[in-house]
Amino acid sequence: MTPVFTILVPLVTAALVLLLRNSTLLMRVVALAGAVATLVLAVLLPGSRPFSAEWLPGFGVSFSVDGNGAASVLVFAVALMMIPALLVALTRVEKGAAGFAALLLAAEAGLAGIFMARDLIVFYVFWEATLVPGLLLLGLYGGEKRREATTKYLVYAVTGSFFMLVSILALKTLSGAASFDVIDLMLVTPDLSVATQTWLFVGLALGMAVKLPIWPLHSWLVDLNEQNHPSGAADVLGSLYKVGAFGFFAWGIPLLPAGASRVAPILIALAAVTALYGAFGAIGSKHLKRFLAYGSLSHMGIIGVGIFGMHLAGLNGAMYFLAAQMVSTGGLFLVGGMLYHRRRSFDLADYGGIAKSAPALAALGLLTIFAFIGVPGLSNFPGEFMSLMGAFQNAPWPAAIATLAVIAAGVYGVNLYQRVFQGPSDVRVKDLDGLEMYVLLPVVVGVLWFGVMSAPQMQRIEAQSQLTTLQLERVAASGASAPGALGLSAPPMGETLTLGGAK
Amino acid sequence: MSFPGVLDIDWNVMAPAITLLITAITALLFGLSWRDSRGPAAVALIGVLTAMVFAVAHLFSGNEGSVSFGLRYLGDVPATALTLVILVGTAIAILVSWDQLERGGMGQPEYYPLMLLSALGAVVMASAGDLITLILGLEIMSLPAYALSAWRTRDRQSEEAGMKYFLLGAFGSAMLIYGSALLYGASGSFVYGDVAAALAGGNLALLATAGGALVLAGLGFKAALAPFHQWAPDVYTGAPTVVVTFMSVVIKVGAFAALLRIAATVFPALQPWLLTALAVIVALTLVAGNFTALMQRGVKRMLAYSSVAHAGYLGLALLAANHGGVPAAAFYLSVYALMNAGAFAVLTLVMDAGDHGDDLERFAGLGKTRPGLAAAMTVFMLSLGGIPFLGGFTGKIMVFQAAIDAGHVWLAVLGIATSVVALFYYFRVVAYMYFRESAYAPHTFRSTPARVAIAVALVGTVLLGILPGWWHTLLSVGPRLVAGS
Repeated sequence: MTPVFTILVPLVTAALVLLLRNSTLLMRVVALAGAVATLVLAVLLPGSRPFSAEWLPGFGVSFSVDGNGAASVLVFAVALMMIPALLVALTRVEKGAAGFAALLLAAEAGLAGIFMARDLIVFYVFWEATLVPGLLLLGLYGGEKRREATTKYLVYAVTGSFFMLVSILALKTLSGAASFDVIDLMLVTPDLSVATQTWLFVGLALGMAVKLPIWPLHSWLVDLNEQNHPSGAADVLGSLYKVGAFGFFAWGIPLLPAGASRVAPILIALAAVTALYGAFGAIGSKHLKRFLAYGSLSHMGIIGVGIFGMHLAGLNGAMYFLAAQMVSTGGLFLVGGMLYHRRRSFDLADYGGIAKSAPALAALGLLTIFAFIGVPGLSNFPGEFMSLMGAFQNAPWPAAIATLAVIAAGVYGVNLYQRVFQGPSDVRVKDLDGLEMYVLLPVVVGVLWFGVMSAPQMQRIEAQSQLTTLQLERVAASGASAPGALGLSAPPMGETLTLGGAK
Repeated sequence: MSFPGVLDIDWNVMAPAITLLITAITALLFGLSWRDSRGPAAVALIGVLTAMVFAVAHLFSGNEGSVSFGLRYLGDVPATALTLVILVGTAIAILVSWDQLERGGMGQPEYYPLMLLSALGAVVMASAGDLITLILGLEIMSLPAYALSAWRTRDRQSEEAGMKYFLLGAFGSAMLIYGSALLYGASGSFVYGDVAAALAGGNLALLATAGGALVLAGLGFKAALAPFHQWAPDVYTGAPTVVVTFMSVVIKVGAFAALLRIAATVFPALQPWLLTALAVIVALTLVAGNFTALMQRGVKRMLAYSSVAHAGYLGLALLAANHGGVPAAAFYLSVYALMNAGAFAVLTLVMDAGDHGDDLERFAGLGKTRPGLAAAMTVFMLSLGGIPFLGGFTGKIMVFQAAIDAGHVWLAVLGIATSVVALFYYFRVVAYMYFRESAYAPHTFRSTPARVAIAVALVGTVLLGILPGWWHTLLSVGPRLVAGS
């Protein structure tokens, strides 16, 4: 039941927080206790028993969740970052902090559901439902142009996901799968004709590309980050909510390997463009939040390159990078929120020389920026490196272009540190207070943990990546011999399709 | 108790309808001596709840196979389940009307009896197994509804609504009757199953198909399928909102219950162009309903067009009547009844006593001034828009899947594409409630019965979203008296 509780605990906490909104102290304690409990559950996910219960038997839908595989790493990163986000939300949001916290917790439950779902409809349900807290956070607590940003976000997300729904519903009918369960689907969907797979994959890809996000479907992200609440807590959620890459990894490619193989060259090119575009966008930004939004867009491009390279190392690296960037990007948005708290501005021109008056803030800012740009030993490096390395095996040119973005990251990262913390101007601000230390503590732990201790988490991701490459090999093999060769026919396949959870 | 060979009446099957009839007569007789309309409201509510008990008892009795009057009055799962939906919709409408009638000066004692009679007609339509019973049900349902639309006396809009509804409704009834006559002429029978069997040979196919087309058009009027939907926005806008709460739910369920059964039995035996025509009608309905709703500023008129759009989604299930469309449509109607009645119930509390002021501006800042009401409205809007974990999403998935299974992939794509449009006009209401400040002090109305109605609709909408399995399974299993799955 661990996976189920990982979804239920934050959800119940969200409801409690709303009920207790009038007693500030109790509400804060409950919210944080719920977040910590969720983190504990997330740590317990590896090796936990998958859960499945009938949900809509007439349609072959069961409520199946499994906390093993890539989900264990991603849910851990989400649960870890939710703690600083909540701390900031509870203290820095003046009006309606309880609502803010409840929306964050609801989104946490939804994200856990997206990552752990093992039934395609359940996956889609969480995918869509998680949109609502994000929209409300932006619309209720956002800046001046929040309504425009909300509309843009809604247009992109909903249009994309409805295409996805067409493909999902057609997938079962066309393949004749017994249910929407991932194993039932994976056994039969790769046998669909290449043309059918291509169209179905394009449908799925439209929905997932918006939330990867990939150029040219990315522009909602920058506006969302710019208009979100200045504390940065809502942006942490934004950096958690880039779930498109996971969709491709866990569903799109393994379900429709032949279709994915046909479309991948286009997608990997777009991802490489995204990586460069984001890097140049960051270099050209004068607004701190837009800067971070573009920088993280560049990361998502590299993740895309890792995914669409469709090589085992790249898939592992992309998922690891996805989890690691939740920590580094989210942490940097929180640092940005702390800067805003001091200067009431996101304009980079209003900063400079902060390191003199606030050495601790500058030191932690530097650490997070280094993690953000992929310095070895910190969180983003292992994933970034492996994404690109994997992509080089199958698609050297896009990988080479994306590598340029890594070089550019060094430029904009150091540039950012100089413009804010160093330089001739002498902006005097308060250093970190006790609360902010606690806010940044999980970020520092996460940045180091993902940077140094990559092996065990990478192994858990690999258990799932191997399924994806297995499906890809199956397609490659069926070109040469009859389906079912290589011992991949139905019964043994069913046994290999587990993520290493307790039997 | 039945008399074989004389009259085969199964009182268990007939009980909900008879209860409604007796309650209507009782409320009418005693209502005349009451000064307040709340007395008849209480009588009506007790009657509807009693009928509900009968319907539930029958649904779980295991005797779903029972019939009355040959195959002319059915008590199978779809009939009983939709009867239950009609009764729930009626109960919500009664609760919503409870305080509103007095508030709007509309407390004439005939209101609730007429509502019950209209609901009785819808129940008869849902249970009809032949065309004559269907026509009887349609007339019993429609005539009180015409009167209710014009209930706000000395109000030009309401009177216009009643008149328009009556004229166009009479036109629709005439088409249904003419179509039934043609079907009888071609097959020699009124009972759906016999009509289908007689037509299987292909005799008089054109005559029968023309009859089928007229039946479709006649019921299409009541169901508000484009291009027969033109009356709906005007009537919905002009009629008192409490009446629209009733009409938009009960009449739609009655019409679709009848259409579903005919689509599952008679239509497959007719020439295939009729189904093509139905597909075109569904496509038109989806596009016209959703895009016109998008352009509305008034929430009441937006909900009117949205109910046209939902007829389109239900139309997808009609086309798939023999591919899981019947349980899908029955599920969709169950959710639709709850969420749509809930939305109108909220609207009655926000609008003026004279049914004015449904502009979006009215909803600005409602999230602060009436948080509970705003939260309920958010759930109804998101559910109507098809956001997961709410019933509307589950219903939509079911009808789309049924349409794809039946081979109407492009219509399903159109349905999903128009759902994107729909989400905008629904979410706009949410955005006004939470993202804007109120321009002036809102004067909303408070009513405990209406609050109960909203709570019932809310719980139902959420429950059918989180745990849809039991209800869908109930709708999917059990015997079918006439073909259709």
